[in-house]
Amino acid sequence: MTPTSTDIETRQPTRDAAALASEPAAPEPTPLAGDLLICLTPLPPEHLEATLKNLAGEFPEQAAGNGNGGGNIMVAISDAATSDPVPDSPLRLLHYTSSSTALFLTAGDYVNAFKMAQEHNARACILLGPESQSLSPGFVRRVAAALLGPSEAGAGPEADLVLPHYRLGPNNGLVNSAILYPVTRALYRLCPRFPQAIDVGLSLRMAERLATAAQAFTTAGQNDAILWPVAEAAAANWPVAEIDAGPRGLPQPASNDLNALLSEIAGSFFADIEARASVWQRVRFYQPGSASAETPNSAGTLPDVTPMLEAFRVAYVNLQEVWALVLPPQTLLGLKHLSLMAPAAFRMNDELWTRIVYDFILAYRLRTINRGHLLGALTPLYLAWVASHILLAGAGAAPEQHIEDLAATFERDKAYLVSRWRWPDRFNP
Amino acid sequence: MKKAASTSDPLWFKDAIIYELHVRSFQDSNADGIGDFPGLLTRLDYLRDLGVTCLWLLPFFPSPLRDDGYDIANYVDVNPSYGTLNDFKLFLDAAHQRGMQVLIELVVNHTSDQHPWFQAARRAAPGSTERDFYVWSPDNQRYKEARIIFSDTEKSNWSWDEVAGAYYWHRFFSHQPDLNYDNPAVMEEVLKAMRFWLDLGVDALRMDAIPYIYEREGTNCENLPETHVAIKRMRAAIDEGYSNRVILAEANQWPSDVRPYFGDGDECHMAFHFPLMPRIYMALRQEDRMPITDIMAQTPTIPDGCQWALFLRNHDELTLEMVTADERDYMYYSYSTNPRMRVNVGIRRRLAPLVDNNRRRIELLNCLLLSFPGTPIVYYGDEIGMGDNIYLGDRNGVRTPMQWNSDRNAGFSTAVPAKLYSPVIMDPIWGYQAINVEAQLADPSSLLHWTRNMIALRKLFQVFGRGTLEFLAPANRKVLAYIRHYDSPDGHSETVLCCANLSRFAQPVELDLAHLAGRVPVEMLGYVPFPPITDKPYPLSLAPYSFFWMELQPAQDAPLPPAETQQKDAAQTIMQPLEPSNELA
Repeated sequence: MTPTSTDIETRQPTRDAAALASEPAAPEPTPLAGDLLICLTPLPPEHLEATLKNLAGEFPEQAAGNGNGGGNIMVAISDAATSDPVPDSPLRLLHYTSSSTALFLTAGDYVNAFKMAQEHNARACILLGPESQSLSPGFVRRVAAALLGPSEAGAGPEADLVLPHYRLGPNNGLVNSAILYPVTRALYRLCPRFPQAIDVGLSLRMAERLATAAQAFTTAGQNDAILWPVAEAAAANWPVAEIDAGPRGLPQPASNDLNALLSEIAGSFFADIEARASVWQRVRFYQPGSASAETPNSAGTLPDVTPMLEAFRVAYVNLQEVWALVLPPQTLLGLKHLSLMAPAAFRMNDELWTRIVYDFILAYRLRTINRGHLLGALTPLYLAWVASHILLAGAGAAPEQHIEDLAATFERDKAYLVSRWRWPDRFNP
Repeated sequence: MKKAASTSDPLWFKDAIIYELHVRSFQDSNADGIGDFPGLLTRLDYLRDLGVTCLWLLPFFPSPLRDDGYDIANYVDVNPSYGTLNDFKLFLDAAHQRGMQVLIELVVNHTSDQHPWFQAARRAAPGSTERDFYVWSPDNQRYKEARIIFSDTEKSNWSWDEVAGAYYWHRFFSHQPDLNYDNPAVMEEVLKAMRFWLDLGVDALRMDAIPYIYEREGTNCENLPETHVAIKRMRAAIDEGYSNRVILAEANQWPSDVRPYFGDGDECHMAFHFPLMPRIYMALRQEDRMPITDIMAQTPTIPDGCQWALFLRNHDELTLEMVTADERDYMYYSYSTNPRMRVNVGIRRRLAPLVDNNRRRIELLNCLLLSFPGTPIVYYGDEIGMGDNIYLGDRNGVRTPMQWNSDRNAGFSTAVPAKLYSPVIMDPIWGYQAINVEAQLADPSSLLHWTRNMIALRKLFQVFGRGTLEFLAPANRKVLAYIRHYDSPDGHSETVLCCANLSRFAQPVELDLAHLAGRVPVEMLGYVPFPPITDKPYPLSLAPYSFFWMELQPAQDAPLPPAETQQKDAAQTIMQPLEPSNELA
């Protein structure tokens, strides 16, 4: 993946009229104090064009000839992309070679972003993932402001890592809600709602740190490896900010193999937790999130949970011996009760799910069984949680409140993970 | 000739330390691969040194051995594999000489189908006295409310006998027909057998499967009133003809259902507390005292002359009949991840493997066993942490040869290994090369030495066998704390605080001991005085799985704390530089 520095003049973008009409009159934007690099993952041409239009609209003061002293806005796009030059655009287009088709930002993306940022003297960079054309107006601007400051305290940028808080439907992003968010919050006492966001803002030093971490993967040919920026920020003790991103279109996985997807994400996440044990076991202070985006509570049409429950019940019969290697007896008893519940009353309580996740993290670390098999054995349990969550929403509970309650349970029970980690005796309750 | 009692104290069983063993498994003296009485006799000094005061022998009677001797074919003789009746007498005398009482089995719910009584019954005419030694039926529809105990192997409590042309009743294996106590001749024969052994000097009888001796339609055929009438009759026969003898009831029932087996002090002297045992394991695993305090709260008081028999493990599976369905599942998940570890309604494993061979857990459980109100029973081999073999059938995995040393066959027998009644355990962790008496005797820090010390300590204090129990309720439920108190008839009293950490991590606890303010807790192993109790909460810190036994002494009786000056003097003595030796100069 090699960045190239072909600057392309683009037309002055025009904002979508409907979008403009719906927005309140924005105050005069503060010029950005430094050059900003925005990296776009490969997009279809029509989406690229829309994204560039939106970006240009975000930074009017940087328009050519504005002369207000703001920094350059550079946008890196895949060199496979074609885009007509737009006169008077505030954006400088850079081209880079990317083959990434991942759902998430990957090691290759971070290495690439840092190289370009360094080469073009950017002070910060923003990586926008697939479907970035659906991002709400103003979001990128706010991320840039948090990165390039000045902060409210007036002493430099607000954060080294800026993460979006998407407003997704109650049935979207559930791997994040069930595992990534609550575990990240409990372990690092940082509570970005989407720790593995599709889009991310990085200070230059954060980009460098992530690129360094990413190189361990890229040199091994694992360009698609997932990185965990929140953990990196926590390890460096650098500030993290969260920006309300509004609704966003989500990239769809190439296949519907949930097992593979969950294994990929959870495997990477668990491995990162293992690598950072010395960090999260010492985290004491809680950094509350900065954004309070409302997530739509309306469940709309609830998905049919029957196949999920069926998958769990089949697994309960077939995976008992595997689960017994990973989960303590109290949890196994809880699963037994769960397997006997009528579909309408099916509820996995937060304490049970918390213990399941924590014990799978531990089993991953201990290599209790083959890691692939281990993560495969997590899938039906995850489906049981999803079914329970959906049924809860269907019964009128606010899905986001459920997630917050779950995260609080993970926090309360962190001591269990720490104690099991330090004394991983099978002989536990 | 009737022998006199071996002890003068009628309540000897309250202070006893019982050691359960199988003659077949303990020591082979004649190289036939099977343990015997002469072999056992050679090991009595070991048992005396261990500190046990009563030997419980599993059935040693003539038997086809299809249920490890619980299928008796002759009640008044010794299985030739184990020696002769004379060998038994020699053993009995030798045990008594060493201050040990002997408890044997009285398996009178059923016999072997090879017993002459059954062979005669199946050929006798229906309605005859011989026929009615057992329970017969033309069909298998009677007593349908009785559960099947050996559910892994038996599908019905009735089996068809071709010769008799009728079904016979059996609560256990089909080769173990139940005796019919509605036939007065049966009771007479049982009393004869009982007297036979008591005449020889046997000190105690364990009544096997006693709740099942009667059957009545419309009941579950357990704990029937007629059973208690029968037990009272046996007890009366003992009291009438003998002194200081004891009956121990095996009634695997809830405490409230076991209570009637004590009667008004006129039935059994002792009864096993079956539900306590799984709950001790549950409490350990859950790191929560509740299972223990809960079952103890359900345990009724018993007559003064009676006693609970307590155990951690025995020759059977760790029975889970007396727990709820959820508790049973929890126990299975906790202690038998391999389905081979399960049998019937229980878990067939020994103590050490159950707790993952963790020394501190073994010690903690033994401390509970030795300090709870009752008489502790140690299963052979558990004092050295012997393992089991789950690949042997039925419950044979916990009945393997005693591991004496690292020689051939673990020192149990000089027979060729293939001839042994059971293979010795040979794996690297549990094998006799790693775990054996000889090695542990040579190791002052071994489990064996620890067990000997703890038994010896318990025997110093009658409060453990005879005292009351009061649970404390500290906020930290991972800590189990209780007070044992005993006022002796001779005027002295003993008060002991027991405190156990059920957790694998260190725990703090504050105990409300205000009613004992002014007392000084003296740690009993080291005789170390702790700060006096005040009316404020008494703080203790407990290491993982640790325990304290503290005698709560009146302040004037407590030992003085080591004086600083004394410690200083000792340190100076150790650190004093050596005078240069003239010889070396």
